[in-house]
Amino acid sequence: MGLDFTVILKNWDYLLWGRTPQGEVGGLLLTVLMALAAGFLSLALGIAMALACWMGPRPLRRALIAMADLVRSVPLVLVIFWIYFLVPALFRTQIPGALSVIVALAWFSSGAVLHTTLAGLEALPRGHREAGLASGLSEGQVFTSILLPQALRNLVPSYVALFASMIKDTSLAFILNVPELTMTASQVNTREQIYPAEIFLTTGAVYFVLCAGLAWAAQGLAHRRPLGAAR
Amino acid sequence: MAFDWSGVLSGHPLHWLLQGLAVTIAVTLVAGAIATVVAVLLTALRLSPLAPVRLATRAVVSLIRNTPLLIQLMVWYFVGFARLPQAIKDVMTRDHPWATLPGQVSLAGPEFVAAAWGVGLFIGVFLGEELQAGLNAVAPGQREAAASQGFGAWDTLVAILLPQALRNAYEPVVGQYLNLMKLTAIACSIGLAELTYQARQVESFNSHAFEAFAAATLLYLGLGLVLERALRAVRRA
Repeated sequence: MGLDFTVILKNWDYLLWGRTPQGEVGGLLLTVLMALAAGFLSLALGIAMALACWMGPRPLRRALIAMADLVRSVPLVLVIFWIYFLVPALFRTQIPGALSVIVALAWFSSGAVLHTTLAGLEALPRGHREAGLASGLSEGQVFTSILLPQALRNLVPSYVALFASMIKDTSLAFILNVPELTMTASQVNTREQIYPAEIFLTTGAVYFVLCAGLAWAAQGLAHRRPLGAAR
Repeated sequence: MAFDWSGVLSGHPLHWLLQGLAVTIAVTLVAGAIATVVAVLLTALRLSPLAPVRLATRAVVSLIRNTPLLIQLMVWYFVGFARLPQAIKDVMTRDHPWATLPGQVSLAGPEFVAAAWGVGLFIGVFLGEELQAGLNAVAPGQREAAASQGFGAWDTLVAILLPQALRNAYEPVVGQYLNLMKLTAIACSIGLAELTYQARQVESFNSHAFEAFAAATLLYLGLGLVLERALRAVRRA
């Protein structure tokens, strides 16, 4: 099968940044921006929920975990549609597709961040909390200045892996016609008609480089000795 | 905002949602079977004595894991189907009354085949990783004992090692099958008329977005519960 990649050379700038010069951010640039925004949001939300689970009363913990699990038992595509149609109905304003996707991804992934963070906290030796309390720190101080910093450092590889899967999930913005990488590739495919192989294989290769690179980095980070581990 | 269910639970919309549910169930079952076969094959290939085979297996696993499922579906649908021999394409696009789900969804059509194969292969790779993790926890003596009893490599894997690997990794394996069911929703973007696709159709038909997506959400949740129950029943059997 012959492949003719001149179609990529002709459209590379559109795939990389879409119509950014005209004021509408798109292409790979939008993919990365959406992933970063959703990544930070889900990290903040997930860690905040982990804090509430760790310090709060049992029923709160159970409710938060149940809510996180409920969102994750529905297809992400549906969560995206929910946000897209729910926000205008609640607040009487339209929100851009890209923002709906960011919020949906953050909400969906914050559950994974919550579970990962709780696991990281539980993996720390009990003595750390007890030593902190014995030194006169409050439960909250123990959490923010002793437990969380150690857990977060140990969890960096897991967070990086979650971020790689976030990048892949941004491709679902396609269903709301958000002009990120998958959508721009699909537009180029529609325009050019006869080069689907070249276009989609190249697009796949771009995602691969990003995600495999992150997975590789996560693996490298995971080989460091965890903090708080027995010597 | 008030729910008005009459726009969803009657007439065309109800009909469409039920058709979508049937297609989601069908594509989940076929993709599940494909994923199971792929997972076992990958596990076997990983144990191959030939280094190039192991390397190629790892390369394929890495490619599938590190690209979005949506892009993979587009490759199978736009590229894979187009490059099939004309004779096969003719058979796929012909009417098969015996293999047509309600709503004119053909089980042999390019959308259904690309979705079942694409989702099956994708989850098959993740399932293979879970099996591998379960396999790593099986004592090495098990394989040696099987070899000393005269079991061949394939028989050892299928009759001795995999059942134990499955027991070790049961929870994540169930999780992957549930994931598979949810991921079939992505097939709406290559035009497979499954549940999510039909919910959108209701939305554009009478703007009952909430009711349509709520109904779809409840159906997915119910389907997930049934699937989980079924998989746990298999374990006990």
